[in-house]
Amino acid sequence: MPSRKRRWAVIALGVLGIALIAMPIAFQMFERAPKGARMIRDFRPYMTASRLDGYQTEMSQINAGVGEGGTKVVARLFAGTAAQRQARLAASFPGFVEFEHQWAGIYPDMSGMLRTIQRNLGNYRAVAALPSFTLFPWFFVIPGLILLGLLGFGLSFPGRWRTIRWTLAALGVGLVLAPAVFQMFSRAPKGGQMMSAFKTIETRARVERIQGYFGDMAVGQGAVALELIPALQRSGLGAGQIDADYPSVTTFNQQWVHVLNDMTPMIGAMSDNVVNYQAVAALPPFPLFPWFFVLPGVLIFGFALGAGPGRPRHVRGTSTKNVSSSLPQGVR
Amino acid sequence: MTRRYLPHVVGALTALAALSLTPGLASAASLKGVFRISSGSYFRMIYPGGGKYFTNPYSADTNKTYTLLSAGSGGGLRTGKLQPAPSPAFDGHGDSLAARIIQPTDFAGINFGVATIGSPPNVSVSAGKLSGQVNAFTAEWNHLTFNQGGKVTGTYNSHTHAYVLTWSSLISGGPFNGFTGYWHLKGTFVS
Repeated sequence: MPSRKRRWAVIALGVLGIALIAMPIAFQMFERAPKGARMIRDFRPYMTASRLDGYQTEMSQINAGVGEGGTKVVARLFAGTAAQRQARLAASFPGFVEFEHQWAGIYPDMSGMLRTIQRNLGNYRAVAALPSFTLFPWFFVIPGLILLGLLGFGLSFPGRWRTIRWTLAALGVGLVLAPAVFQMFSRAPKGGQMMSAFKTIETRARVERIQGYFGDMAVGQGAVALELIPALQRSGLGAGQIDADYPSVTTFNQQWVHVLNDMTPMIGAMSDNVVNYQAVAALPPFPLFPWFFVLPGVLIFGFALGAGPGRPRHVRGTSTKNVSSSLPQGVR
Repeated sequence: MTRRYLPHVVGALTALAALSLTPGLASAASLKGVFRISSGSYFRMIYPGGGKYFTNPYSADTNKTYTLLSAGSGGGLRTGKLQPAPSPAFDGHGDSLAARIIQPTDFAGINFGVATIGSPPNVSVSAGKLSGQVNAFTAEWNHLTFNQGGKVTGTYNSHTHAYVLTWSSLISGGPFNGFTGYWHLKGTFVS
């Protein structure tokens, strides 16, 4: 009986080894994990507190410029009641008025998206601190190969089985400890939170919407630079006076190239990583990842112990050495 | 039997292929030189999905979805030879310094230029129709490069050398992923 138990333990170890090798293939990790690594790498330049604060500042500057353009500048350029001024603004500068309406939707959407990204900065850092995603499939395949290799060695050299069993047990312990060493229990759930938060951001539709905002903002800035500011100049104000009296409009205009320099590559990174995000999202949920190491580790450890020689026990009418088995003597 | 007829079959097929190819080869002439860019040349950018054009407030045209192009220091687009961007390709603002094909032109606040990087453009004329490729055509803007190559079509008057060359190119990757650039060059060809 004990030898049958041992034989099952050895078979279970073999199955575990195959499962460890098959798992990354089943989850398409070899294809998906490098995409995750690329996404983490591509986001790195933008995922800093200063850069994200900078984007928020730029959004606020544009917002202030649009607000000032629609109020103080209008008051300077047109006489009459508020309604009459607005009507004259719409007639004289339709491009700016159209942008004012668009901006009412753009600003909350963009700043909301940036807030979501800011809230997930710590989660991103936690994921980025994990070993490279590209290595993840190998974290399963290599222990699987070692496990099968040791079993094969044990079958070939039964006399070494005791050493091999302890090596297998150590392999199990290693797998159990790996998530703790890499702080996966704290980092992987954070990665899961980041993936959930980016679910509505890293989509083709959302990226195209932001591309559309970019076009709208370009038209709006053009209206400020080519219509509102020249109109203020025609009203008798010098450049210095405009800067002093309409600081928000001036800032919007002067910061535009900086906004383009800053935002365009971020939109590019968002766009280029839609596919990569989807690949990572198709992997099993992040919080499960530590358990993909712990569970096989515990099982390998347990089966390695179970595959031991055990205490010699007499079965009625026979002895253990007479129990038939196809496994080599040492494995029994 | 098969051996006896094989030379005849091969001969007949070769003659047929030659007959079908000869008219095209005879009239298609490669145009090597410069497609000089003059007034009427423009670029338009189409949003993903089509139907809407990007408005460039800095365009000199009354219709701001057209960004007008003017000849660069090389006069226009050269075939058979590359017109690469200088090094550095951009100034500190992200304005393109590639000025051989077109004069860098303001696009949404930053100048864009074009260069040819890769295999030189190749355009042929056959019965007044232009065809070929400008796979190396690259737009440069805001520290970024966008391949804008594609197959070209157009018309050519062999007497006046006046030409019209058009093509469209889908932008793949980057901030304008999914946008399509439409190029319309017009002028005279100088060999």
